Amino acid sequence: MTFAKTLGRAKKKFSLFLNRFFKKKRTRIGIYGPPNAGKTTLANRIARDWTGDAVGPVSEIPHETRRARKREDIVISGANGHTVTIDIVDTPGVTTKIDYHEFLDYGMEKDEAIIRAREATEGVAEAMHWLREDIDGVIYMLDSTLDPFMQVNIMMIGIIESRNLPVIIVANKIDLAMATPARIRSAFPQHPVVAISGLEGRNTEELYEKMIQNFG
Amino acid sequence: MPHKCTKCGREYKDGSTEILKGCASCGGKKFLYVKESELNKDVLEEKSIEEIAGESNEEVLEVSEPTVKDKAKKEVEMFDRVETIRIVSPGSYELNIDKMAKTDERIVSVGGAEGSYIIDLMSMAKDEPKKKRGKRR
Repeated sequence: MTFAKTLGRAKKKFSLFLNRFFKKKRTRIGIYGPPNAGKTTLANRIARDWTGDAVGPVSEIPHETRRARKREDIVISGANGHTVTIDIVDTPGVTTKIDYHEFLDYGMEKDEAIIRAREATEGVAEAMHWLREDIDGVIYMLDSTLDPFMQVNIMMIGIIESRNLPVIIVANKIDLAMATPARIRSAFPQHPVVAISGLEGRNTEELYEKMIQNFG
Repeated sequence: MPHKCTKCGREYKDGSTEILKGCASCGGKKFLYVKESELNKDVLEEKSIEEIAGESNEEVLEVSEPTVKDKAKKEVEMFDRVETIRIVSPGSYELNIDKMAKTDERIVSVGGAEGSYIIDLMSMAKDEPKKKRGKRR
């Protein structure tokens, strides 16, 4: 009896050991950040570069993405042959205030703007739900033409840190003349910062390398 | 009827605003409400005010330090809010992302002023059975 038990236990241990080595490693990466930082543009860039597909539509009006969108099984390979398999989750922009008046400036009708504000509010709740339940790592996107010390950024980085999630900070929009990615680097010295242009695809190789390092 | 400082026994007239700053003699923060007839009981029976406070059922008045607490309150106001979403007006919202990061429970506050809330009970009940089942396995 005791021998059979020991054998059973040994078998179990061995299969756990095998699983650890051969289980398909897949990490779910959430792209977070304030509205209009370029989250969907980057998600589309990553999806196009590695699967030839797109994730969602982009717009200059804030809160274009109001539902989280997911693209699964993206395999990213680096220069030295290392790969990482990820699911990309493009999330709605997280902010503490949403007011429909902001959308009127873009020529939107009042009724439409109010609906957009309501959907955007639900979107923030959904993004935060994902962060709590399903995300293994975060790409935090910032517009490098803007001040990184906005309250929402400090809060979000704090929340991500408190959940012990690996994070890469992306200083986006370096194609614009006003961009100062150095300001973002000095604001968050405790995390890796990559300066890119999601729109032009500039410096995305560095981001992919950092993703393999941090999310692999 | 007057108050007496429980530390040093200094007497203060009823309704005195002085005690709000703490005892002027010793800086004590606790005061006992004493009856007129028992005003000198502590001296006559050679007891401290604290002992008398223990004997009588009278509540000991404790003066808080409003300045320090008020400052702390202002700093944590945003995090302290009970609601996850505040509807300032239709189409205008304030979101408490700190609270959203912690729980799915939705308490919605209506209007700019505090004191009016909508509580989404469904959001609080929804996930519970699933989690319990998961734990048992």
